[in-house]
Amino acid sequence: MRAVLKYTALTLFAIPWVLVPIWLVVVNSFKPAGEAAELGLGLPRTWAIAENYGIVFDRGGYLTGLLNSLKVTVPIMVAVVLLGAAAAWAFGRSRSRWLQAAYFTMGLSILLPPSIIPTVYLLRALSLDGGSLGYVLTMTGCRLGIVIFLATGFFRAFPRDLEDAAAIDGASRLQIFVRILLPLLRPVLFVGGVILIINVWNDFFFALFLLQGSANATLPLSLFQFASGTLQSLNWNLVFAHVLLTTLPLVAVYVVAQKRVLAGLTEGALKG
Amino acid sequence: MVIRNRAAWLLWALPAIVLVAVFFVAPFLLNVRFAFSSWTSFRAEITWNGLENFRTLIDQDLLANAVTVTVLYAILCMAIQNTVSLSLALALQRTSRINTVFRSAFFLPTLISPLAAGYIWRGLLAPDGAVNTSLGIEWAWLGEPSTALVVVAFIDAWKWSGLITLVYIAGLNSIPKSLLESATVDGAGPWTRFRRVVFPMLAPALTFNVAVTLVGALSAYDVIAATTGGGPGDHTRALNVVMRQQWGQGFFGSASALGFTVTLLVIATAVPLVWWLRRREVAG
Repeated sequence: MRAVLKYTALTLFAIPWVLVPIWLVVVNSFKPAGEAAELGLGLPRTWAIAENYGIVFDRGGYLTGLLNSLKVTVPIMVAVVLLGAAAAWAFGRSRSRWLQAAYFTMGLSILLPPSIIPTVYLLRALSLDGGSLGYVLTMTGCRLGIVIFLATGFFRAFPRDLEDAAAIDGASRLQIFVRILLPLLRPVLFVGGVILIINVWNDFFFALFLLQGSANATLPLSLFQFASGTLQSLNWNLVFAHVLLTTLPLVAVYVVAQKRVLAGLTEGALKG
Repeated sequence: MVIRNRAAWLLWALPAIVLVAVFFVAPFLLNVRFAFSSWTSFRAEITWNGLENFRTLIDQDLLANAVTVTVLYAILCMAIQNTVSLSLALALQRTSRINTVFRSAFFLPTLISPLAAGYIWRGLLAPDGAVNTSLGIEWAWLGEPSTALVVVAFIDAWKWSGLITLVYIAGLNSIPKSLLESATVDGAGPWTRFRRVVFPMLAPALTFNVAVTLVGALSAYDVIAATTGGGPGDHTRALNVVMRQQWGQGFFGSASALGFTVTLLVIATAVPLVWWLRRREVAG
């Protein structure tokens, strides 16, 4: 009886919290402009799916945005995970004071907000401003902290016997890292990667300052430019179509991996 | 042997150290200089000008309001997010099939970009939108000074609550069952068990979540950009919103000063909070 009550309450909460927002986006992205302006939750009286999504692809620069998002997200993820894991190994094993000071700085970089204005200045000085390379390097530098923090925690708790045994057998450091440690580290890197991809794929603030011109715009930037393009009220049907298409790639990845995402995040890799 | 070893470890950490040094630490240090420098699009030369940027911002009535808005936003966001997430975590703590379905559903908003979340709720909360229709009222949630800030903080909290719920579930599941059982044997009811056993044992997760949500919300920008743009008037004009405006007008020094203010707020929040919560954690 108490269980029935609990799940009824949870369902009643989930309807406005999750279901209605998603439904609003989907159903209004199918309506013509005038009908979507009412922002109702009813089914479309006239369907305008092809028109709306056609405009988002055409004028909204969706494909360019998608390609740009992939072009920056993939290198950032790879760089943060690999360089972060390698550095975490050093931080976890070496007792050098310099490295420990560096590790402390990495910890600070998780907490302190990145300084965006001097970053623009710096990228300009390095002739890297406006384009995706400068953005990738900046995001990597600002997001390495969390993965290093999680992975160093793992190495500190993990005995080094395995590495010593492999070294005696003649394995090089690179072999030990790639063949033995990376596979062991996978669950930790997976959790770090989930948090990372949510942040990187959805980043708007960095992109707004660091990426210039619609040729470089990632999906959030393209959504903002598209929505701000009309000066008066928003064209809700088009904005929602863009929102749906912008969110879809990440949701698709989540649907495939949701069991591991939920298990990874609830098994306490974030504790401490 | 030892020296060679040390050099080798440095090599493994070097790429990460260089990237963090150049793209995080260097801008951080430069910002301390720029915040106290005259630097505009009209005069490219960057010269030391002491507290002039802050004085100008105060004279324009921008700084005090932005700090108040930012701090209120962060507190509201933290309170809403942790209340919702902790309640959901308590309800969904046990790993069962039905709970996994609910956890999965409540995680969905986390995947949506804060910008998109802003547009979605701007639609839901429009004067003739679904929220008002179902409540039978007409209220411009984002247009009225009394509700605009609460609503933008709510949207930010909504977006992140799914992730925070999972961190709380992890914290709840790390509490030893034997502890709860012996409390029950000693005659503790559900409320006493929560107050005396669960809540103190939850300290690591609570530390993490409160610190993360407060610090994250001090850098608020995306949701505001998608909903109010800082309005009505200046009621949601957080520090980063003013920073973007100053930057757009070519006042780069003032923009840096605002960024530096966010950093100071983060330090002022994070240091005592982590210290206090850690101490309670040990005591609990």
